[in-house]
Amino acid sequence: MSFGLLLPAGLAALFALLLPLLLHLHRRTEQQPAMFAALRWLKVRQRPQRKIRFEEWPLLALRLLLLAALALLLAQPVLSGAPGGERWVVVAPGIDRAQARAALAAPDAAWHWLAPGFPSLERDPPTGTQPLGSLLRELDATLREDSIVTVVVPARLEGLDGERPALRRDVEWRVLETESTSSPAASPRPLLLAVRHALPDDPALRYLRAAGAAWAAEAAGPAANRARIDIAPASEPIGPEVRGLVWLAPGVLPPELRAWIEAGGTALLAAATEAPGPDAGSALWRNAAGEALVLGRAMGNGRVMQLTRVLAPANLPEILDPDFPDRLRALFEPPPPPDSAYAEAHSPRSGGPELPPTPRPLHPWLALLVATLFALERWLATSRRRERAA
Amino acid sequence: MTAGIPEFIPADVRARLRDLRLLARRPSGSPGFGGHPSRSRGAGLEFAQYRAYQQGDDPRQVDWKLHARSDRYYVREAERDSPLEVWLLIDATASMAQGDAARPGWSRLDAARGIAACVIELALRQGDRFGVVTIGGEGVAMVPAASGPRQRNRCLLHLHRLQAAGAWPAAAGLRAVGERIRPGALVLVLGDCFDEACVALAEQLSAARREVLTAQILTAEERDFPFRGGYRFTDPESGEEVLSDGASAREGFLERFAAARHALAARLAGQGIRHFEYFLDQPLDAPLRRLFGRASVDAGPERS
Repeated sequence: MSFGLLLPAGLAALFALLLPLLLHLHRRTEQQPAMFAALRWLKVRQRPQRKIRFEEWPLLALRLLLLAALALLLAQPVLSGAPGGERWVVVAPGIDRAQARAALAAPDAAWHWLAPGFPSLERDPPTGTQPLGSLLRELDATLREDSIVTVVVPARLEGLDGERPALRRDVEWRVLETESTSSPAASPRPLLLAVRHALPDDPALRYLRAAGAAWAAEAAGPAANRARIDIAPASEPIGPEVRGLVWLAPGVLPPELRAWIEAGGTALLAAATEAPGPDAGSALWRNAAGEALVLGRAMGNGRVMQLTRVLAPANLPEILDPDFPDRLRALFEPPPPPDSAYAEAHSPRSGGPELPPTPRPLHPWLALLVATLFALERWLATSRRRERAA
Repeated sequence: MTAGIPEFIPADVRARLRDLRLLARRPSGSPGFGGHPSRSRGAGLEFAQYRAYQQGDDPRQVDWKLHARSDRYYVREAERDSPLEVWLLIDATASMAQGDAARPGWSRLDAARGIAACVIELALRQGDRFGVVTIGGEGVAMVPAASGPRQRNRCLLHLHRLQAAGAWPAAAGLRAVGERIRPGALVLVLGDCFDEACVALAEQLSAARREVLTAQILTAEERDFPFRGGYRFTDPESGEEVLSDGASAREGFLERFAAARHALAARLAGQGIRHFEYFLDQPLDAPLRRLFGRASVDAGPERS
């Protein structure tokens, strides 16, 4: 167990210690007046002693202590090294508490949910998909090296990231068979892409129509789940079920359209359209040469994507590529990342990075100390004053 | 005690005054009848002398038995008892306002008032004449000597109004003091005796056949010098200031001050002045007890 400071520069506040010293010294030089008629026998000039002396030692010491504690608080002290190795059992959400306890005989272990903050198992199970890989790494980095960790997971894991977690300890990986209560997530509404054009003979319409036809011809899935496309002039209103918009009219974006985007819509704007807001954005589609073809950015609650060039084969030969329908769809409906795996195949690897132990912050205790010292100082200072006044 | 005038004498001190008696060393020279021996001859109990008959003497005063023996006319004379005249000479300069930090509101002047009130009580009880002279920044104020309860009230009222302020006045203003106090009177000087002029006045009165007693009223701080730390000492009369460190100045001050007090006592004793010191933390009657108590009977001729 060792003591460290996260912000040693905070110790510069120790210069404030000079303040009470000066205060208590200053009072020392003060001369108390006294009437004294026998002055002529005192005539010999005796200079007041210059010896450095402080008044009210206990109060001064208390004030110094208070300031030192405050300076230490600023320096953010930490205590590295946990008091001792523990046995942890973390249960992934989706597993029944009683089932986990029955499967594992570990009475002295600390049971926790594998969820942000690692709440105790007594709490309600966390809802939603948890980033399991990240949580495992966090747990591994937080706990002491000699702690024993058992992870109880369902057979099918979700919320994973691209890599099998590499941990610095060997964890016990217990896979429990659960009734697959969690059906695959209900697929969202199919994409209905509205295309609004200024000119009926816009060359882009051909390709967009072709993309719509390609979606309609998709073999997999029921017809109701297929993405559709709706091409209309710019004056046509946007229906409530529309989830994406391709706006091909040049000029300023109409305000009602802007309101629609800010309410949560996603729009792909032509290069000639002037959209408010910053020009830059993250490149969502690059060509083979690495040039950005579509820049995206947020607008209100929605998203705006802008083509960097005119949607025509001469400027944008990529629309002739066979994967253009998929690309277009991905702009509006990014495919979900691969985040689920079978638990048997996803047990954490050992040999993770050697991390420095996570230090424990001492803020709360120090703050308590400061508050106590402050109260004590006030009490001492005011009681002294009262005594003097009396 | 008279209503309306504050009590200068605490009850316990008043109780202890009972066995005190004002006595003068020398016979009193005051006219009238009193309880003290005097230089005057006349009718009385204590035989003084025989004197040859002069024309005009009352024939009843002639000692006829002696005439029978000596065939001369002698007049038998006796010492006449006279009242004592007591004067209280109070220093009311600014330095008399000084008191102790340990007992605020009790200054030298308060102590002088108390002692004066005690003496007035004693004098009233003995039927003596008494008067008050106060000397301060406003000059000399006087209550002419007289006797009786009304005189006491006058004196106490005068003391009550007294304020300590200013410095000792010039010598010219003090001539009235010598003129008013008749020879043979008992003069009790109450003050701090720090003013040379005050001591000189006492010596002057003593040299002019007044019986002078000086009470030097000192504070306990002047005796003990309990100051610690930095102090700015101010002389209330001259306004002078001395910055000093209490602890380091203590030894030198006590030494010099004790030497000065001894020198003053020796000087006054050389002039035949009875001198005593009174400290503010002592009971009021302590100096009077030393002067007039049973223990100091030898101080004056005892009359039964």
